[in-house]
Formats: sequence, C-alpha cells, structure tokens
Amino acid sequence: MLELKGIYKWVNTGNHRTFLLKDVDLTVKEGEFISIMGPSGSGKSTLLNVIGMLDEFNEGEYNFLNESVHKLKEKQRSALYKQYIGFVFQAYHLIDELTVYENIETPLIYQNIKSSDRKAMVADILDRFQIVGKKDLFPTQLSGGQQQLVGIARALIANPKLLLADEPTGNLNSKQGEEIMNLFKQLNHEGMTIIQVTHSEKNAAYGSHIINLLDGMIQNN
Amino acid sequence: MIRNYFKTAWRNLWKNKLYSGINIFGLAVGLAACLLIGVYISHELSYDKFNRNAYRIVRVTMEYEKAGTVNAVATTGTKVGPQFKRTFPPVEEYVRTYIRQNIIKHDEKIFDEPRILYADAPFFKVFSFHLAEGDPATALDASDKIVITRSMAKKYFGNEDALGKTLTMGGKDFRISAICEDVPQNSQLKFDFVTPFLNLGNNVKDETWWTANWITYLLLRDHNSISQLQQQVNDYMKSTAVRKDAGVEGNNYLSYHLEPLTRVHLYSSLPGFEPNGSIRNIYIFSLIALLILIIACANYTNLATAQSAGRTAEIGMRKVMGASKKQVFIQFISESLIITLFAGALAIIISITLTPYFNNITGTQFSVSAFLKPLPIAALIIFSILTSFFAGFYPALLLSGTEVIGVLKKGFSFTGGKNLLRKTLIIAQFSISAILIIFTIIILQQMNFMKTKDLGYNKDHIVVLPIGGKMLSDFQALKDAFSQVRGVESVTASYETPEYVQWGDGISVTDEKGKHDISLNAMPVDLDFIKTLQMKLIAGRDFQQSDFAMMDTSNDYQNYHQPYLINETLAKKIGWTPEQAIGQAIEKGATGPVVGVIKDFNFSSLHDPVGPLLIFLNRDYSRDFMLRINGNDVPQTLSRLEMVWKQRITDRPFHYHFLDEDYNKLYQAEQRSSSLLSVAAMLAIILACLGLFGLAAFTTVQRTKEIGIRKVLGAHAGSITLLVSKNFLALVVIAIAIAIPLAWVIGNKWLQDFAYRINISWWVFLAAGAAALLIAFLTVSFHSIKAAMANPVKSLRTE
Repeated sequence: MLELKGIYKWVNTGNHRTFLLKDVDLTVKEGEFISIMGPSGSGKSTLLNVIGMLDEFNEGEYNFLNESVHKLKEKQRSALYKQYIGFVFQAYHLIDELTVYENIETPLIYQNIKSSDRKAMVADILDRFQIVGKKDLFPTQLSGGQQQLVGIARALIANPKLLLADEPTGNLNSKQGEEIMNLFKQLNHEGMTIIQVTHSEKNAAYGSHIINLLDGMIQNN
Repeated sequence: MIRNYFKTAWRNLWKNKLYSGINIFGLAVGLAACLLIGVYISHELSYDKFNRNAYRIVRVTMEYEKAGTVNAVATTGTKVGPQFKRTFPPVEEYVRTYIRQNIIKHDEKIFDEPRILYADAPFFKVFSFHLAEGDPATALDASDKIVITRSMAKKYFGNEDALGKTLTMGGKDFRISAICEDVPQNSQLKFDFVTPFLNLGNNVKDETWWTANWITYLLLRDHNSISQLQQQVNDYMKSTAVRKDAGVEGNNYLSYHLEPLTRVHLYSSLPGFEPNGSIRNIYIFSLIALLILIIACANYTNLATAQSAGRTAEIGMRKVMGASKKQVFIQFISESLIITLFAGALAIIISITLTPYFNNITGTQFSVSAFLKPLPIAALIIFSILTSFFAGFYPALLLSGTEVIGVLKKGFSFTGGKNLLRKTLIIAQFSISAILIIFTIIILQQMNFMKTKDLGYNKDHIVVLPIGGKMLSDFQALKDAFSQVRGVESVTASYETPEYVQWGDGISVTDEKGKHDISLNAMPVDLDFIKTLQMKLIAGRDFQQSDFAMMDTSNDYQNYHQPYLINETLAKKIGWTPEQAIGQAIEKGATGPVVGVIKDFNFSSLHDPVGPLLIFLNRDYSRDFMLRINGNDVPQTLSRLEMVWKQRITDRPFHYHFLDEDYNKLYQAEQRSSSLLSVAAMLAIILACLGLFGLAAFTTVQRTKEIGIRKVLGAHAGSITLLVSKNFLALVVIAIAIAIPLAWVIGNKWLQDFAYRINISWWVFLAAGAAALLIAFLTVSFHSIKAAMANPVKSLRTE
C-alpha cells in the first residue's frame, strides 16, 4: 500500500542540524495494523504525519498506492490524503462549534457530496457506532471516550483506505481505551489498514506489527 | 456547504459575544454614518433633476466691472430674459423670478407668508412642478391669478376646494388658478404661492439691464447649445450698440454667464434664493463617513486576527478533513459577511433613530421613509458586502493559510509577523481620531471667536421688526410708540440689518488731483442708528433731527444735501484722517457733508475683511425697525411690543427676530460642519477605543500566565498595569505624533477662509493628544488592572 525509502527529516537550529527522522524505510501492506512505539521525542508523531502527508520530509522517497508522494504538489497531495486517509488524534480535535452529527458530516461536505447522500452516510455510521442518541450534542457535552468515538467515526465517514491514529487512547481511562482498541481491531478485521502511535505495550499488542523508533531511526522491524 | 459555514459562523459569534458585539456595533455605526451621509449626498446630487427639462434650463448670472471693481451676482435686470429670447434662436423661453414675503389673507386667516414666487407665465412650462388642479398654460396668464400649493390650500381652505377661490395679498384680491403639488426638498426654487412676475410693481414693467434683483432662467431648445449660446452672449454684450444701451463705458464691462440648472446648487459660487450646497462639503462628508467605516473595519480586522490564534486548531482540523484553502477562506469571509449584514440591519435602526439629529445638523428634512426605500437599502446591502470583504479579507487570508501541521503541535499560535498590520491599523485609527478631534477643537474655537468677537457694534438684545404695508407712511408715530414701551431703550431703522450689508454703491470724491470713483457698500438708516447699535464714533457725530433740514426736496431737489457717516476704512481709502473727514463732501447722486466717522464694524461675514462703508440718512428705504431692549424680562417687553403692534397695525401679524440670531445664521454652514465634525470625532474615538478595548481584553487573556508568573515573582499591580498598557499606549503616542502636523495643516487651510480668525495655539494639540491618550489608557487599563489584581494562583492553575 505504501512504501517509505530512506526518509530523512531535519530542522536546523543555528549551525546545528537536528534529525527528526533518519533513514527510515517502511513498507505497509493493505490490511496491516501497525503500532509505532518509542520514547517521547523519538519521532513517532513526525513519522505518522509524514505518512499522512500532513508534514513534509527533506529527503527520500514515499510511494502511496502507486503515486510518488515526494513528486506531488501540495494540492495533489492533499487530494490524495483527502480521499484515502482518515486521521484520529489524541486530543480528538473535534470542532467545538459543531454538533456530533455536523462534525462527522464535515469531511463529506469538503468532498462535495450531495446532501441526501451525506445524510444517509452519517446516519449509517452513527448507527454503527451506536451514538445516534448523541448526534445533536456538542463535543463539550460528551465524555472523552465518546469524543474519541466521534473522532473515529469522522475519520471513517469518507471510507478511507488507511486510518492513522496518534495516541488515540492517550487522553482516555483504561476502560475507554480498551473499547477504542477493540474497535480498531474490529475495523482491521473488516479490512482497514491502520497505523497507530502509542506509548502502551498493551495497546501496541493489538496490532499485527510493531515498529520501534529511537531518535528518528527504526530500531527493528 | 454555505449553510454549514453560516452555522459555524453563527455559533462562533455567539461564543465570543464581546468581540462580536464590538464588531457588529462598530460596523453598524460606520454603516449608519455611510447610510445617513449617503442619503444626504444623493439628495444634494439630485437637486433640480426632477425637472423634465433640467438639462435644457440655465440660470443667467451677471458679471460687471464698475469703478475698478468686478462684481458677480446671480441676479439680473428685467431685460435679460426677453432680450435674449428675441435675439438668440436657441432660447425657447425665459422665466424671471423673485421670491418675497407678503401678507396673505382669507376671511379670518391672515399670515405673513415668506415664500411667494413671482414668475413669468411660462413658469409651469419650463419647470416641472406638477399641478394637481388647473391648467399650466393659463395658470399665470392674468395679473389677478395666483397658484398655491396643496399645503397652502389646506392651510387657508381646509378641506374645501380652493380652485377659483379668492385670496387677498397686500390688500389686493387674487383668484386661485391652480393647485400645485408641494415643492420637493431638492428644488432650488421653494415656494408656497406663485403669481405673475409683473405683479412685483411698476419697477419691473420696463426692461432694463440694471437694477438686477431678479433671477432669470432660460429654457433652451437643445441642451447641447449652452456653450454656443454662451459665446453668442459674450459677443453680443461686447457689441457697441448693447454697451451703449446698457450705459457701459470705458474699461467697464457687463457680461452674463449661463449656468446649467443642475450645477447651480453644488457648483455655483453665487447663491440664489437659498444658500448653495457645495461640492466640497459633499467630498468632506463622504470622506468622514468613509473614515468612520475604515476605523470600524480596522477593528474587525484586528479582532479577527487576534482571535485567530484560538482557531488554528479548528482550521487545521478542517484541512485534515479535506478542506481546501479556498474553502476555509470562504468560511471566514462568510463570518465577516454575517457580521456586516447584522451590522447593516442595525445601521438602519440607528439611522432611523438618529434622523432628527441628523436633520438638525445638516439642515435637511428627511423622514424615516427616506431610508426605507429600495435604493438606499440595496446600496446598504451592497456596501455591507463590500465592507465584509474589506474587513474580512486579511483575516480570512491569514487563517486559510494556516499550516495543517499546526493543529498537531501544541502551543502553536500566531505570534509571527510581529503584528505589523495590527499596529499599523491602530495607529491609523488613532491618527484619524486625533486629527478629527484637533480639527473639531479648532473649528469650535473659531466659531466661538466669531460669536463673541467684538464686531464694532453690540448685536445682543436687538429686536428686529420687519416693516411692510402701510407702516412706512406711519413711521414716526410707530417709532415713538415703540420707544415708549417699557424695556425698550432706543429705536432705529435701516434698509438692511448690520450683520450682512449687501447694498452695493458708488461714490465720487473730488480733491486737488481730480475726481475719484470709489465702489463700496452703503446703508440707508434712520436717526439713532449709532446709538441703538452701540457703534463707536471716532470723529464727528451721529445723525440728528436737524440733518433732515439739509434734505430739502423742494424746488425739484435743487438744494438737496445728503449727510453721510463713513467708516474708518472708507476714510483711509479716500486718504482722510477721521478728523479731516468731517465736513468733506461726498457725491452719491446728491452731494453732502461727512458728519461723522465710525470705527469699523463687521457688516459682512467674517470670511471677508471690512470694506469701505457709507451710511446715509434716509428712512424711506427702511425695511426693519431695530429696537434695543434691556436684558431684564425680555418676554414681558416682547408681549408689550405685541400689544402696541396690534393696536396700530391691523394688516400684518406681529413678527420679530433677534439680531444675534440673524448673525449666527451667517455661519450656519460652519455651524453644521462643526456639529458634524464633532459627532464624527466622537464616533471615531469611541470606535477606536472599542477596538482597543477588545484587543486589550484579548492580549490580557493571552498573557494571563505571564502575568501570574510575574506576580509570583513579586511584581506589584502598578508595574503589571504598565506592562500590559504600554505597548498600546506607545502606538497611540505615535498616532498622535502623526496627527498633529496633519491637523495643523488642515486646520490652517480651513482658517484661511476667514479674514478674522484665531491662531491655533499649541495647547490645542497638547489637550487633544492628552485626551486621546487618557481615553486610550482608561480603555486598556480596564483589562490590565483586572489582570493585575487577579490571584496569580488561579491564572497559573488554569494553564
């Protein structure tokens, strides 16, 4: 599905160059569930953002579904991730001014999907996540677990091929976290490719594959 | 999609009530200013255009040189209209006009009517004043005909049909030949009655070039022929035959200018029946409205960019979800659109509420319905949309350019760019405010100077009673009767009141070098003129009863001598010292001695320096009694005067005004400008401070943690207040520094128009600067003191 070859990313501070990612090679096949682990500052989130095309890299090659991402212009890149990638964040990043329903609907609006189709798709996913009763509430009226559920629903609404999750359970208690991880597992069973960043060994174990990162370098594979 | 934007926008506004309130209120005030001034300007621009023939009508003005002085007036002699029609084929029709006051009577109803128009018969053919009843072709074709407006018909006849009924004017009966719709506000001719021009009396029966008291309009066959006709007129007036006919000799000349009707009100320097508007004021008013709107827009831009820090997460997230830059841009423009549309709606309410005050300031009479017509509403909507783009463009651009990655990094905010734009906008706002404040103070000072200036006479406590009807033949008896009223100190009469003397004249003086012609202003007066007006004599004496003996009309004026008073300037111009002047002879029709020299007094607007003035004794010209009354119990004195009036004068209502009011009317235009500017200056500073208030609230919240840490480290409240305020105050100081030289230049330029003017003193700048700074400080310190007093533990915990 995607392939990273010799990815480097750095920032210059004064005369000094700090590497965030250093010679990262990574191949992800369709249907995999990968967990990225590593201490704070090891470059986990940076790697995830690079994969998600939200962040750029300085050197290397990135192929995603037969497209050479490093050769694409920003517009084309964003069209690509818009279509194929869903994002889930530790802090949920729901839009406070929108209701649950509207938060989930927003990606569809940006993809110019007709109103009637949007209604059907949102109703469908609300049903599937069993949050129909919460659809008119605002994010601040929900618990953390519920918010993350909405965040995942929003990430999945446009039928992405790849789900990227940056510490999705980081702000949740263990019970809520377990529920979310079970959901991920189920999604993976249904064929969704998932890459998650996590601190927890337990959560990492849900994945089919663990990547350890230290100082921007992959330690083993 | 749009619905979604509007929904988000609406909820965002609701969440940030303070900022939204500031923005909506500010923009509403700016838009209301634009709406009010826009309606006013469109009214001014529409002047006289309701006439179907507007572009074919010209006003003829006269310019002539006599005794080395060039004069230009909007009035012409009786000959111009008929002679031009006879001579020049492009002229289809002419109308000579004059508006004056007269007493109108019907049964028991008797009123002093100020707006009686005398006009030649084609009046209703040339101008488009609609006749509700009657035939325009015959409405003025006989000397006993009179046309009245609908309001006048109601005033005199109630609900009866007025057509064909009789009105008495000046003791003569007139038949109502037509009922005219009331004259629109935007007409330079404003009248309640119209009667044939020749009813003005014997002095208009003959055609003469001179005795120019009448305003002549020409209807041309083709609107393109104006310049060609002008050329023909110029050539014609230079021809020997015409010069001879008009009695123009030597270097003197007489010429006429054709002013297109639609340009008279705004572009002509010559006032006609009413003071003209001025295109310069139109520009100034537009500029003021725009400046206020700009200040409001700057508030929006500033607050929106300041708030943007709090919205990066939202924008980043939207982009992650697939929003394009364009879509985010549209979203934020929608927000500013919603705000301005709200503001637009509020602006209509504000405009309607302020209409009476606005009418007061501009001297117009708009009704509320003037704002509820489709055109102003449509203009307002379009203007709101433009404003929303203007105000929202930069924030939308800034926010839509947010890097997606921003959302994923904690502590990201807009601190880059050093907020140069924000600072620039604050400086611009306060510069505009400070200029307006300083300029307003200068105008108010000049107004005050003019009101209190020693004019050379005492204008206070002078009651003016207009003379008319048979009063002149009863002059002495009336004067005596008024003099004996308790509270009246002295009585005189004159042709014109002294605040504005228009009578132009010429004299000749003979000395060893020969005869000199001097053109000057003149005023015929009654005895006690100097005494009543408390003017100062430098040499000689006031007129006295025995002077009448000089004016011997027997023997066909063989021994007629006219006694004169002259002002200092005239004495100087002739080359006499005041003492030398006494007894010298002046020739003006009749020859006579100078009996006194008075200290110069301002007999014209303070825009002009005092010119030479000749005062001559002749009570037959009197148009106004002037009574000096003592200041105690003025109402009592007036009611006693009314009693005396009613006993002696039955054909005229008691009607009076005060000389100081007449004087103040001279400066109505300045009065209006100063009122408007005061309001504008106030609005500008309020709006600028409102913006500052919002920004201060915002930055204080942003710096809560910093303030908390500083307090924990031992900073006291004063130093924290200073810390938060000083950045803003520095901007205000820069703004004032920019404003002072600009205001100085503008103020001086404005003062140039006055021959008698104040000097701008340095304390004006100091006071205005200090005031602006103080207001700004109070605005900002509301928040900074609040922050400084807050418990630091709280602010640190919230982080």
